[in-house]
Amino acid sequence: MNWDFFVYFAAFALIHWAFGAWAAWKGKRRAAIGITVIGLLIFFSFILAMWITMNHPPLRTIGETRLWYSLFLPLVGLIIYTRWKYRWILSFSTLMATVFICINIFKPEIHTQALMPALQSPWFVPHVIVYMFAYALLGAATLVAAWMLIKGGKSEMRDERADENPLESLINIGLAFMTFGMLFGALWAKEAWGHYWSWDPKETWAAITWMSYLVYLHYIRLPRHNTKIALWGLILCFLLLQMCWWGINYLPSAIGSSVHTYTN
Amino acid sequence: MKDETRDKTIERKPWNLLEGFAIGAVLIGIGLILQWTIGPVVWSVFSWPVNGITLALFLLAIGLMTVLAKQCRLFRFLSTQQVAIPTLVYAVVLTIVMGLTQQKSDGRGIENMLSYWPFVLIYALMAIVLGMVCLRRLLHFRFSIANLQFMAFHLGLFIVLLTATLGNADMQRLKLITFVGQIEWRGVNEENRVVETPLAIELKRFIMETYDNGQPKRYASEIVVRTKSGNVKHAIVDVNKPVRINGWKIYQYGYDTQKGAQSQMSILELVRDPWLPAVYTGIYLMLFGALLMFMRKGRKEEKRR
Repeated sequence: MNWDFFVYFAAFALIHWAFGAWAAWKGKRRAAIGITVIGLLIFFSFILAMWITMNHPPLRTIGETRLWYSLFLPLVGLIIYTRWKYRWILSFSTLMATVFICINIFKPEIHTQALMPALQSPWFVPHVIVYMFAYALLGAATLVAAWMLIKGGKSEMRDERADENPLESLINIGLAFMTFGMLFGALWAKEAWGHYWSWDPKETWAAITWMSYLVYLHYIRLPRHNTKIALWGLILCFLLLQMCWWGINYLPSAIGSSVHTYTN
Repeated sequence: MKDETRDKTIERKPWNLLEGFAIGAVLIGIGLILQWTIGPVVWSVFSWPVNGITLALFLLAIGLMTVLAKQCRLFRFLSTQQVAIPTLVYAVVLTIVMGLTQQKSDGRGIENMLSYWPFVLIYALMAIVLGMVCLRRLLHFRFSIANLQFMAFHLGLFIVLLTATLGNADMQRLKLITFVGQIEWRGVNEENRVVETPLAIELKRFIMETYDNGQPKRYASEIVVRTKSGNVKHAIVDVNKPVRINGWKIYQYGYDTQKGAQSQMSILELVRDPWLPAVYTGIYLMLFGALLMFMRKGRKEEKRR
């Protein structure tokens, strides 16, 4: 398996996701869930085949991490859809997945490269996959936040059970995943580089992102908080996350000094 | 429900985020003055036993402030969201500044953020807030998944923040350049000074495997380690697989990249970090707290059914 086949797998998966999204709009829940799952399986089979061919999980390059992101977005969309029943979420997650798939097709920072010794660690796979899952959840949360802002900040999206705010749950779970990713990274760094935290630019931005979501979670627990400020804050958090994820590759202060910069 | 707390405390006007931001601003002001007068934080001062004493005093201060919280409005205020949020915001902003500026170990001001007083004081405030929140919660601890989750997360972060920072001065990192067949006991420390190492290391063989395209697949060192007490240990040090001996960990650091597989030289790094168990306790607590975040959800769902 190689990247030449990506277009076919991606297109085939996207068609399923699009049909799933359409079924969701039409209120056909079972069809929506079923078709989306088939799309996920198609996309995952490509990742799996790449994994087997390369003898290591495709997680090394930013193009490869985008692959996981394109998988997790519809997956998270599906989870949110089954749980909170927003008819629009599958359309959004499909659209986002399309964007990432298109970037991978048209701007390939892609290579079937061998794995350097530092990355050959049992921590490697959990570290990156958990982070990608967190990014996907927080990306979905950002979409929900943007949707709520467009709707005028009304809590129309609220669950009928008043004790649970879906946005808060998304951030909670996203942050839990992010905590796992960050601390797995720390434990791995100790084994690979001798120290668990070296304020490497990626680590610095990971700390920033992590704390910014903590600000949000603390802020919305204030009895009298401003919903709009909270929603805008979430969008800001996601911008900081972009910096952590790929922005540092272009940041003058980080270039050449990070073990995390994705090299060509 | 929400007004209950306000009824209990007969305060004229409850302090809010504004006062929280003011506390942070005052600390940053103090930090700037300190930076300007006595210069950056000198972390090397904190080597044992100074860090131990500092830790004890810090914990004592948190205990005292918690005890005196009934009498002092400020102390009571310190363990509230209204302080936690501004502290986190300041920490985020200062860390962004750090992320945007090239950090140098000999940098001045924000170019060496880890020794920049405002940065250090804001993180210290974060530790104080965390400590006071944890202690107060611990004194009235009632078991529930939610409380346990809160405790594990906050206490874990508190422990990591304090022990990682204070313990850093006790951490030793020495680089050893070894050649095949030679015994080496001199290393270079982080200040680039040559020092005698507690272990003598003989490089028996340098192992290197490459991929078809010549990129390194594996590099490792077969070594014999001798301790001062006369213990001898044979080991292979791989990347990602450090060897542990006498409280030290030996890491594969580098080799002669010009010669590649023919390299007769291997660079090893010796690391000792006596505070590591404390930091790991904090990390595991945080991981436990993150895990409970899922459990909490599951429980809620169960209740509904």
